[in-house]
Amino acid sequence: MKFTIQQSTLMSSVQDVMKAISSRTATPILTGMKIEAKENGIVLTGSDSDISIESYIPAESDDNVNVENIEPGSIVLHARYFPEIIRKLPENNVEFEADENFRVTIRSGKAEFNLNGQNAEEYPQLPIVHTDNSFEMPIALLKQMIKQTSFAVSAMETRPILTGVNISLKDNILNFTATDSHRLASKEIPVEADGLAFSNVVIPGKSINELNKTLDDSEDTVEIYVTNNQILFKTRHLNFLSRLLDGNYPETSRLIPNQVKTVIYAKTKDLISTIDRASLLAREERNNVVKLSTSGQQTLEISSNSPEIGNVTEELTVTAIEGEELKISFSSKYVLDALKAIDVEDVKIDFTGAMRPFIIRPTNEEKILQLILPVRTY
Amino acid sequence: MDTFAELAEIQPLASKIITNSIRKDRISHAYLVQGARGTGKRAIATLLAKKLFCEHPNGVEPCNTCNMCKRIDSHNHPDVHWIEPDGKTIKKEQMAHLQKEFSYSGMETNKKVYIVTAADTLTPNAANRILKFLEEPSRQTIAILLTENSQSILPTIRSRCQVIDLKPLNPERFKQQLIEKGMQATNAALIATLTNDIDEALQLNDDNWFAQARKTMVQLIATLAENVNDAYLSIHSQWEGLFKERKQQELGLDLLLLGFRDLLYFHMEKTASMVLFQPDGEKTSQLAIRFSQEKLIAILQLILKAKQNLKQNVHPTLVMEQLVLQIQG
Repeated sequence: MKFTIQQSTLMSSVQDVMKAISSRTATPILTGMKIEAKENGIVLTGSDSDISIESYIPAESDDNVNVENIEPGSIVLHARYFPEIIRKLPENNVEFEADENFRVTIRSGKAEFNLNGQNAEEYPQLPIVHTDNSFEMPIALLKQMIKQTSFAVSAMETRPILTGVNISLKDNILNFTATDSHRLASKEIPVEADGLAFSNVVIPGKSINELNKTLDDSEDTVEIYVTNNQILFKTRHLNFLSRLLDGNYPETSRLIPNQVKTVIYAKTKDLISTIDRASLLAREERNNVVKLSTSGQQTLEISSNSPEIGNVTEELTVTAIEGEELKISFSSKYVLDALKAIDVEDVKIDFTGAMRPFIIRPTNEEKILQLILPVRTY
Repeated sequence: MDTFAELAEIQPLASKIITNSIRKDRISHAYLVQGARGTGKRAIATLLAKKLFCEHPNGVEPCNTCNMCKRIDSHNHPDVHWIEPDGKTIKKEQMAHLQKEFSYSGMETNKKVYIVTAADTLTPNAANRILKFLEEPSRQTIAILLTENSQSILPTIRSRCQVIDLKPLNPERFKQQLIEKGMQATNAALIATLTNDIDEALQLNDDNWFAQARKTMVQLIATLAENVNDAYLSIHSQWEGLFKERKQQELGLDLLLLGFRDLLYFHMEKTASMVLFQPDGEKTSQLAIRFSQEKLIAILQLILKAKQNLKQNVHPTLVMEQLVLQIQG
């Protein structure tokens, strides 16, 4: 194989792909980066077996010629040396050549590197995706959905399936759900999917956060393909693949209470700062417990008490309180996470009693939902 | 060994058990393959993995030429996990990694195979973690545990696996092989009992240290027979200088074991099985008369106990001192 390319073009692709490569891996070939030259461009692939990133450099784009003199072929190069070499090349023009004995020559200006590569056939085969089970959505929206749900995944390995975000698609509604069994975050959006449906697709929390970092903020759209054991997010030049979690995601819709006893309407910002202040005295080892009690039609009392440290009480005027009087304790961390994730000005909190989960939602929409279990205090 | 047919030559029973279960599509979710070094444990694990992933299997045999087979050979297949001891034992972290791997779907296919080599070196923590997936096998996941030391496997693990016992290699056949390679018959007999690996055998044969070790051990036996009181001193004067590394010490005890076994064989007139002493040598009969059969059996047990102590990191000099004192007593 053989090609000539601009150093800066290659470097930015290499950097994208490097995000997926880990130096500590059980499979020796995965310490390398796969470089594949095709008639119409170059594909770089990196993987740590959990996630894989493919970056595509088209031979020609927008009347610019990116890659020249392409002779097709593929090779795997060690990811510890290859990126550094490309970064430090003296000139912008890079000639890349590999022979059938997996010897690679990289030439730039007067510098010449000879590297030992590995057979590309040894590299894991990424699933071949079919266009008929894909749908499209804007990148910005996907990133928002990730941000609003992924924080709620479980950090405990006891139930591995909960360490992921469950995605389902039905009747052109895309749903993301994450829960660690003490709280649940869920978000729905309408997408154009032509009746495509799937459920029980669970993306590991680590992968989805990595995806969030890898996608850049742009106006573009991302195509999403679901296969048996992997999910592919495809943008213009980047393919992000993640393995899925194996197992059945618990049925979460039943957890969401449908009758309401007390409703609080509040300004998100006020609520966040008040709870944040109260949590200063709440202790990590006691679940950061903060108490909330209603008094009258517009006042909340938020308090926290740690016998060894002291206590705090603060009154907060809210927009409205409807329904029964309420005293409830909850983890300030969970509530703060949820309020921050919702990211709207006004929220509505539905309570169904002191021992029942409560739901935080934006006042004017139903698409996002944060469910939190209260803490029992004596 | 690239095919089950080749495997059948040295392990006819194991090969038959596995090929039958493949034919009837009743592959167990966990195998415990136990057998001494060089009996083909890895070959079995690799063959089984290849058979499961091979793209063009020929009956029960994998093709060995497809991309899948090649990558299993080079340990590059992402859905075949090899767990090897990290240092002396298999650590909890390695199992934690494996556990994580199991909560994920497969990378290329839905099948997963994990092969734990030297499963006897699992630390208790790691062993208890592995129990969990032996108990609740997920679909299309196969565990293959390999061990040389089947007694050290937790009974809870053993009871969840299909056990495949490998026959010890026929030392006679190996001895013939060594003689064909130009080794002396007397050396070949001894070395064939110590190792099953042909390269290691040839290396031992050329090793000056090995010749000396052998001499020292024969001397030690002689001292134990004739001048019991000097034996303790000879540990310090001769043994300590020569057997410095763990491997050497283990080999030394093996030599000692074989020496006393020879004397026992001599008593029992099974002279054909003797490896260290010459059956017709004058010295042999002199030494043999010094020990009764009961005494020899007791000594053999003491040596086995010493080997075990050495494995459990008892100080080697203390192990030898204790052994010699116990033989004296």
